[in-house]
Amino acid sequence: MTTPRNPSGSSSASNSAPAVQPCVNGSSMTGTARASSDTAVARCVAVGRTYGTGDRAVVAVYDATCAVSARDRVAIIGPSGSGKSTLLHLLAGLEAPSAGQISWPALGGHPRAGAHRVGLVFQAASLIPSMTVLENVELPMLLADTPAGEARQRARSALDLLDLDGLHRDLPQELSGGQAQRVVIARVLAARPRLILADEPTSHLDRRTADHVADVLVQVSDEIDAALVIATHDRAVGGRMRTVWPMHDGRLHPATATLLADACTTRSTADMSSNRGITEGDHA
Amino acid sequence: MIRIWLPALLRRQPARLLGAAIGVAIAVALLASLGAFLAHAKASMTGRAVRSVSVDWQVQAAQGSDPAKVAALVAHTASVQASQIVGFTQAPGLSATTAGSTQTTGSAVVLGLPAGYTATFPGEIRTLTGRGTGVLLAQQTASNLHAAPGSHITIQRAGLSPIAVTVSGVVDLPQANSLFQKVGAPVGAQPSAPPDNVVMLPYKQWQQVSAPVAAARPDLVSAQIHARLGHALPNDPAAAYSTVIAAAHNLEARSTGTATVGNNLGAALDAARGDAAYAQVLFLFLGLPGAILAGLLTATVASAGARRRRGEQALLRIRGASQRQLLRLAALEAGVIGLVGCVAGLGTALVVGTSAFGSASFGATTSSALLWASLAVASGLAITGAAVLSPARRDVREHTIASGLEEIATRRYPWWARYGLDIAALIGAGLVVNAAGRNGYQLVLAPEGVPTISVSYWALAGPALLWLGAGLLVWRLVDLLLGRGRAVTAVLLRPFAGRLAPVLSSSMSRQRRPLVKAATVLALAIAFAISTASFNATYRAQAEADAQLTNGADVTVTESPAASLGPNYATRLAAVPGVTGVEPLQHRYAYVGTDLQDLYGVRPGSIRSVSALQDSYFQGGSAAALMHTLQTKADSILVSAETVKDYQLHVGDLINLRLVDGRTHQLVTVGFHYVGVVSEFPTAPKDSFFITNAAYVTQKTGSNAVGTFLVNTGGTNSSAVAARVRALVGPTVNVTDISTTRGAVGSSLTSVDLAGLTRVELAFALILAAAAGGLVLALGLAERRRSFAIMNALGARRRHLRAAVAGETLLVGATGALGGVMLGALLTQTLVKVLTGVFDPPPSAITVPWPYLAGLSMLIVACLAIVTVGAVRVSGRNLLPTIRRL
Repeated sequence: MTTPRNPSGSSSASNSAPAVQPCVNGSSMTGTARASSDTAVARCVAVGRTYGTGDRAVVAVYDATCAVSARDRVAIIGPSGSGKSTLLHLLAGLEAPSAGQISWPALGGHPRAGAHRVGLVFQAASLIPSMTVLENVELPMLLADTPAGEARQRARSALDLLDLDGLHRDLPQELSGGQAQRVVIARVLAARPRLILADEPTSHLDRRTADHVADVLVQVSDEIDAALVIATHDRAVGGRMRTVWPMHDGRLHPATATLLADACTTRSTADMSSNRGITEGDHA
Repeated sequence: MIRIWLPALLRRQPARLLGAAIGVAIAVALLASLGAFLAHAKASMTGRAVRSVSVDWQVQAAQGSDPAKVAALVAHTASVQASQIVGFTQAPGLSATTAGSTQTTGSAVVLGLPAGYTATFPGEIRTLTGRGTGVLLAQQTASNLHAAPGSHITIQRAGLSPIAVTVSGVVDLPQANSLFQKVGAPVGAQPSAPPDNVVMLPYKQWQQVSAPVAAARPDLVSAQIHARLGHALPNDPAAAYSTVIAAAHNLEARSTGTATVGNNLGAALDAARGDAAYAQVLFLFLGLPGAILAGLLTATVASAGARRRRGEQALLRIRGASQRQLLRLAALEAGVIGLVGCVAGLGTALVVGTSAFGSASFGATTSSALLWASLAVASGLAITGAAVLSPARRDVREHTIASGLEEIATRRYPWWARYGLDIAALIGAGLVVNAAGRNGYQLVLAPEGVPTISVSYWALAGPALLWLGAGLLVWRLVDLLLGRGRAVTAVLLRPFAGRLAPVLSSSMSRQRRPLVKAATVLALAIAFAISTASFNATYRAQAEADAQLTNGADVTVTESPAASLGPNYATRLAAVPGVTGVEPLQHRYAYVGTDLQDLYGVRPGSIRSVSALQDSYFQGGSAAALMHTLQTKADSILVSAETVKDYQLHVGDLINLRLVDGRTHQLVTVGFHYVGVVSEFPTAPKDSFFITNAAYVTQKTGSNAVGTFLVNTGGTNSSAVAARVRALVGPTVNVTDISTTRGAVGSSLTSVDLAGLTRVELAFALILAAAAGGLVLALGLAERRRSFAIMNALGARRRHLRAAVAGETLLVGATGALGGVMLGALLTQTLVKVLTGVFDPPPSAITVPWPYLAGLSMLIVACLAIVTVGAVRVSGRNLLPTIRRL
């Protein structure tokens, strides 16, 4: 179920139903009402985020209501400064909302209480420079108290799956941009989260590499049955998602739904499925 | 470009800039403080030397010359403020009859003192009993003759009839050694001790007594002109010495052979210039390492931001910046650090000077203080150049854009480590210290009368090489532990980090250079604090021992010839409030051959309870063992090394001494067996003396007369107790306390200078240790904030971050502390050994200042704890901007 709500609405999460579906792609477009038992991995109800106070206050997200269900593929699309990254960070639990409520019913609690519940992919490759590729990948699992042997095994498997098996001992500074982002994705894959949140994961990459990284993300999400939410201003990347949430000036914007839907449908889900050659063209 | 760069630099990197500026400030403050203090110390040494002398010049009128003409010549010398003629006559002996028995002394000196002599030269003669004018007897002479004010004594005259005079007073001659010097004779030809028998007559009476002697035996009569000089001398003792010596030479040259100057002031300044040279050596040994350490701290702090700087340089080069522009920006950064550091350093020195010495210039003259401030600023700028500008310049020239952007620098093992410079330096240190030992560690050679002074600065190489070698060795060992020993560090980290330990250990291994630097700087700072504090504590302990030796105990009651207190008086003294113990100490004179020496009779079983006897005072056994021997073998005797040498004594030899029998007042022979050598003993003179068992002396001489009571007050309230004792014993008995003695004894180095050096250095040692422990590590952790933020974003909990940060802190702290303690102990041993010359008496063991070291430990632990807690807290703040920005 993917349910963005009209920003002007004020109803509570429990009875909210989407007045508008801003953008619908592919098969998961139909979610409207919540099931009696809440299976959403993340749910926002009238969430707002304001930085600063008084005259210097900047509102990054207004009154957003949305929900992400298991195996959803969502793209939050909007220009720079539209608030999509902030919304993503709110969904990740990295920031607390200034208003409204966020919950993660299917995760069984706050995502930061268990590292394996949410996988994060940042704009720039967020690897620890003093750790090798293998150590970077196994780190979230060790932080989640996974036994060291199992963590290493899963890290190796994830790297192998992403065709990074020759880079285990390399340091991040020895990788290209595309390779580094794939390592980050391997880190997510190995941790097997229920929700993957990617913040402009392709913004520093060339077209070809960006497409590959986006494909890999989708493939990995499929692999581990995780919901995937990408914040991006790249419509090509957004087109790979089944659902698009347009965002403008901090609002999830219903008015752009049609236009976006047209844009988003330029690439079909079928295209995405066929484009699984994920190890090609990784050049920053 | 600079207009954009500078505000950005100040806004974005305040901590790093401030950290480096603090390092520069410490160096500047330390150098300015110590330098100004050194200048003040030298001036105070000159002043002290001047004050220590009563008669500046004793001008000997040549045989056959007219003393009046010589006196006129002296009086008209520019630097002379006052002068008087003093007569000297050699007499075959003195005699006196008291209580039916007649005592006759050996040869004596009869002095003729002009009216107003004691007022013109205060300190030369101290009245003990009776009047201070008329016929005066020296204390020992009065004792030998059993004479007191009112006694009649007879002065024998060579080939003439004796003359009888009536004693007006008994006096002490504190400056007897210089008063009875052989003017113009070289050091070796000077008498070993002043005459035992001295009688002083008013000048006119002396002329009447001596005129016939002069006519018959002119060689037995002489005249001296005693002079007091103007004391407007240069501050530096060496310069003052040169001035006084030159003036004396000038007088001698003008006198055309009729006058020879006994230059007492010159001799005092001669000793002071030796002390000044030692003060300079101490400054170099103890102060310079602090300044170098501060420079090293600056370099380490600056290098904490090296990766960022290289990255910024690379980005600027991508955008077209030339090498010259980059160097200009680096110079700008260095300039900001140098300026802030120098201003803050001078400000700190002002505060230190005002708070510790009550004077912003540390008591030095304004010109000296300004000179040292300028030198300190120059050093601060040099440190900034070497620590900040030079590495930036190297980066600009050697790094490519790609290597500049690398987060983990790939570096080769340093050249010095490959060539084993650390080991070579340690071997070199051992060799130099050993070579200095062969010379008896005589670093300062100031031969009497020779204007030039020789300081063995090469001996500095010993501690300097030890610093260098040990510092590099600590670097090598910590690098080894964090690099190849990562399995070991993983085991060490496991209790804190659990499953993360291997990953953290590997991560630390790859970025170990900053950690190794932090541990090394911490080790050096701890070693500096330990060695400085221990050296100073040992020095203070020995200065206290010197005061104890001079005064004898906390309070000392010395009988004058006119007042005789029996041994039972100890019971009354023990009842005085504040007194915790009283020990009677016999003081006699004994003849060994023709030589008269002081003899002390002690109660061996209890003497150590009131006066600290150090093992270093004795040879042939410890203090406890030799006292035990004196107790169990009552006829044992401890003898000075000089006597052992003169009489070729071997342990167990019989020594026959002649002592005055208390019953017959005649000399009787008493046999003793030589058991060991004594070089120092409470109240004993610096030259030869004997230590014996008091009970044995009493038994053999029939007299239990006590010369001195040593009073223990438990180390507190000695002045108050002395006042109470004074009230009890009356004005005729001399009562001294250790507080007063402390200020009077020892060299100028002991009483004035090291105390100031100590205060300044110990404070700076604490600051350096705190900065090394906290600042360096904090900046290193700050540079890795992004890594911690990423860990946080990946789900690290507080305990994980705490483990990561605390792991680093613990490894840096533990290795730094271990290296610092070991190096500190080694340095202390070396410094005490190499600087033996400043200790009087030499120490038998190093005094460890536990309270200071406990404070130091707590400060370092507190700094490390604050850094750890702060780093963990900061890592959770502004997570996303940190991940994005850094």
